[in-house]
Amino acid sequence: MKGSPADMNEDELDLLFHALASQPRRAILEVVRRQPGCNLNFVTAHFSFSRIGIMKHIDVLEAAGLIISQRSGRERTLFFNAVPLQQVHENWTDQYSRFWAARLTNLKRSVEKRRE
Amino acid sequence: MAATTKAVFRVVIDGSIDSVWRELTKQGEAQAAVFNAWLHAQALAPGQKIQMRTGSGKYVMVVGEITDFTPPTRFAHTFRFTQYDDPECEVIYDLKQLPAGVECTLTVDRMPAGSKTAKDMQGGGTMIVNTLKSVVETGKPSFGTRLMYFMFKYLEFVLPKKSGVKNWPM
Repeated sequence: MKGSPADMNEDELDLLFHALASQPRRAILEVVRRQPGCNLNFVTAHFSFSRIGIMKHIDVLEAAGLIISQRSGRERTLFFNAVPLQQVHENWTDQYSRFWAARLTNLKRSVEKRRE
Repeated sequence: MAATTKAVFRVVIDGSIDSVWRELTKQGEAQAAVFNAWLHAQALAPGQKIQMRTGSGKYVMVVGEITDFTPPTRFAHTFRFTQYDDPECEVIYDLKQLPAGVECTLTVDRMPAGSKTAKDMQGGGTMIVNTLKSVVETGKPSFGTRLMYFMFKYLEFVLPKKSGVKNWPM
């Protein structure tokens, strides 16, 4: 199925959801999101698995467009790129469903916060 | 010196590099990718001052100075919201032709950490590159963005007086 021209294509969607369908990769993404411009050593320090393993996960996240790496001298600095997630959100919701979905998620957050 | 932060946003656009470049640098009409603002400059060259004004021309939203103008691959300028007292940061658009399209990378550097500018640019950067993709690929922003721009037209009065064009001579 093909959407409008500005939609992500099926291959891009596969890469994105494959990247997100892994707990370690989501955790790596969170580390990078919280510390824009961090390097591989910084990320590795947060996990018990090997540097090579982290690098492989970062490559998958980069292929999906969720991480952007930039060379800074001899270092590779990492940034979280929210653009693919925003594209999925925009492609799969419209103004009305976005509004009502936001109302429901706010309700859930508010009730659960009160229960804590 | 206050701590600064940097954000990077990237999208691949199915279009020509010239069409993407044009959307980012056009003058004399609204830039749909950049909040429907109008780019004002005496000339597009390093060292020249720029402003992003509202459609009516009554308010200046952003002021800056061009630091790099290399068609059609790099447009960089300093950036400061007129409504905030934050120090200026730097905005860089890098365009690269790939087999799949044009890779557009927006880098916002030297943002004061935790500032209003940093907060606004986190959401703003994502919106700019996504809208740019939509404009180049379909000729218009998404419906939601068009609706927002329609509202902007009638909500200009909420901008602070200090953003008035009289206060920002070129």
